[in-house]
Amino acid sequence: MKNPYRILEITQDADKAEIMKAQILAMKRKEFSLQEIAVAAKQLLDPAKRLAADFMFPAKIKVRRIQPIQNTLNYQEINLNSLNENAFDSLK
Amino acid sequence: MEVIIVLVIIAVVGYFIYQSLPNTKFEKAQNLFNAQNYNDAIDILNAIFEKHVDAPAKLAECKLKLGQQSSGKSEKIKYFNEVTALRKKISNSASVTKFESIEAIALFEIAKIQYEEAKGDIDKLNQNIKFIDTANKKGSETDFASLKKNHFYYLADSHFKKATEKEKSDKLSEAIQQYNTAKDYAEKSDNKAIQYNSVARITICQLKRNDKINLNNVSEIGNSDKNFQRELYYRYAIQLLKNKEFSEAEKIITSHLNFQSSEIDKLNEILRAEKNNNAVKRVEEINTSIEKLYRNSLSTEELKALYESLDTTANEVKVFDEQLSERISAIKPTLFNRLLTHYISAEQYGNAITIIHKFPKFWESPELLKNLGICCYGYTAKGLLTERNYQIVISGWLTSVFSDKVILKSLDDTTWDDNYTFSLAEAIGSNYSQHDEIPDNVNYDEISETNISIGATQKELLQQFEAIIHKEIQDSNLSKLVNDFYDKEKEAIEKIIEVIETDIFFATPYFAKSNGINNEIIEELDNDYHNYSNENALEAGVPYIKNSNSSVVYQYFLANDLIDRVITAINNENLVALKSLNTKDNKQWIEKFDNISSSVEDKIFNAIANKISEDDENEKLISLMEECFSFSSQNEKLKHQYSNYVANYCISKVNDEEIDNFKALSLMKRAYLRSPNNPRIVKNFITLIRFNLLDILNDRSRNMNDIYSILDWVKNNMSQTYKQNSSELSKARREILKQIKQAGVDISLFDDNSITSILSGTSLNSQGIKMKKVLTYLKELGNEQESENPLDRLRKLRQQLNLGNDDLPF
Repeated sequence: MKNPYRILEITQDADKAEIMKAQILAMKRKEFSLQEIAVAAKQLLDPAKRLAADFMFPAKIKVRRIQPIQNTLNYQEINLNSLNENAFDSLK
Repeated sequence: MEVIIVLVIIAVVGYFIYQSLPNTKFEKAQNLFNAQNYNDAIDILNAIFEKHVDAPAKLAECKLKLGQQSSGKSEKIKYFNEVTALRKKISNSASVTKFESIEAIALFEIAKIQYEEAKGDIDKLNQNIKFIDTANKKGSETDFASLKKNHFYYLADSHFKKATEKEKSDKLSEAIQQYNTAKDYAEKSDNKAIQYNSVARITICQLKRNDKINLNNVSEIGNSDKNFQRELYYRYAIQLLKNKEFSEAEKIITSHLNFQSSEIDKLNEILRAEKNNNAVKRVEEINTSIEKLYRNSLSTEELKALYESLDTTANEVKVFDEQLSERISAIKPTLFNRLLTHYISAEQYGNAITIIHKFPKFWESPELLKNLGICCYGYTAKGLLTERNYQIVISGWLTSVFSDKVILKSLDDTTWDDNYTFSLAEAIGSNYSQHDEIPDNVNYDEISETNISIGATQKELLQQFEAIIHKEIQDSNLSKLVNDFYDKEKEAIEKIIEVIETDIFFATPYFAKSNGINNEIIEELDNDYHNYSNENALEAGVPYIKNSNSSVVYQYFLANDLIDRVITAINNENLVALKSLNTKDNKQWIEKFDNISSSVEDKIFNAIANKISEDDENEKLISLMEECFSFSSQNEKLKHQYSNYVANYCISKVNDEEIDNFKALSLMKRAYLRSPNNPRIVKNFITLIRFNLLDILNDRSRNMNDIYSILDWVKNNMSQTYKQNSSELSKARREILKQIKQAGVDISLFDDNSITSILSGTSLNSQGIKMKKVLTYLKELGNEQESENPLDRLRKLRQQLNLGNDDLPF
């Protein structure tokens, strides 16, 4: 089922009057069939069905804007020259 | 006298001629050989060397023995060489053939002496190998092969020593060459120590040369000298660190260098420093990505990669700075939200579903669960369901819509609904006023124009989804899978919501099991059963079983499963399986639950009825049915079904002469035992008793004893219905007696109570005795004895003895 808000091009907060008006505008735009427009309007005028249409809008999850992470670590020097390759010479 | 002299001369000459014959001499030499007198034997054999075909070989053998007996090496070799030198003197090819095996032994003895002298000397060992390779080995092949292998063993040893010298002098390529040679010889001679050590040393030399190595031969290195291993892995770890292969170096250090040493400590310090530097670098990269994110220049792929790498980075950093690690983890929800929003707006529902599922305990967030529902709907509407993903999508959708909290969440983001209130009275996600906390504009009051039903909204959503899966899946197999699964999942969640009164999270079985929350649901259902003995709670829990073996729900499932197995055994006519299920424990399982014990008879009855409808003359069913009685304590229906089936079977088979009367009687006895008051069973059973007695009478049965045995049992087990219907047997008896009487036979002979019978019973022939027994059984089983009172019997007796009414018989 197509999103009735999208068909009528109205926001989620639209009231009854706006829905009726949007219905007429949608018919003029002729982007959707008359039946689709009628079904969309009917759905939004029925509160229980409108709530079903609202379900399809993703829930907004409240999150904080993230800040750059304060780096408390520093680079360390790696000295491979300190290693004695012959430390475990087994032919001695 | 002259004659005697001539004869003596002839005899002496003849003796000497005989003694000088080659065979005689060879025989003599053989005797000397046997007596170990080799030198005298040699003298004789030398004399007949070319005259007797076996002489060269025997001569060689004598010299071989002398050589073997000698103590000094040079003397031994002298004799063995004399043996081999004989070959040149032999002209007869037959003699050569016999000689060769002795020659081979002599050559082997020479090679053995030379081998003892060559140990440790590569050149001499190689020379002796050449000697062995070119020697005649006839008959001594195994000895030569073994000796040659010994050479390889010492060659391996020698080459390994040589290689170590080269290695010590830093002539690494030459050392590797020598180690390879040592390894080859070691492999040929099973010299495992040198073989493994060579592999280890070759690798060490390669590491010293800084060659790139791969440890394909780890198992051989693992068997080498421990010190070699230590040196090898230490050098290898350094090489890996130098090549910046830190994770590989860490693996080597952890698995092969886990001992205390300051040198190993240094390696670990380098690793730690590397990890620290890597962490610093990762944090810098994260910060760069955050900057790009807020400049909107971070691509979705980069965002996804950043999000997915956060856990690993946080873990890596945790070792150095726990707080820094927490700061990294803290940005995860924001990145997750960004990514999810992007996926949903781009209608990439599959990716959205995947990341939601990876979010820990996502179902505890109504927002995430709602978004999961939207994604599952969108995914299905786009026709993306397949056999691999339909379960996760459908269970996600249903769990989302059945959550009242998710629907309530939808009320948060709009203002159009400010004039309305919403009622949970008909909500599908709860059965009672069970939600602990509800918003101000939500209640449990009656539905009205201004008090909107949340249940109606949920049902509307379900209908919209059902319209898609019913109509828009083109593949018929997939459509069936999807719709069946949807129905089962929906039914299951509806059942648990109906039973459970507490405010817990409700999920469909698949969702609950895949996210590990099924046990919480089962626990609630168990509680409900404990509190109210509500077996519907257990029934509702069955689809949620995964690993909750200790729950009552599981026990209920097992009892149900047991019945299913019984039905399967009936369907497959598998008597063995049915018998194995028929145990005391299993019966206790069934009896434990009323729902199951009360329905088991009907279930078995229906399964058997189906089998009968397939084939109503199947004898196998009789045993199967008998086995089924004990699964149910209430089994009257089963007994009735069984008895009628047996009766029908016997009637049909006897009429068609496919079974004899005795078999039918045996089967009917089993039916009578279960249904002793079923008139149809009883009447047919009595008829079969009559048939069988008549068969005995007419010599048509070979089961006389078995028949009487059954009939004796009947005498003690006459039911009321039997007694009421047994006149058929009395009638048969009277008919027989009538026929006998018409034939002019005194029928009193066949009456147990008649004095004639008592007095002349022994005079009946075998046929008469048989007839009398049949008549007696007909009488007793016909229940006739009770129809005749004792006074009648006495009167009859008086008549037979011609006594007056007042006279006593005796």
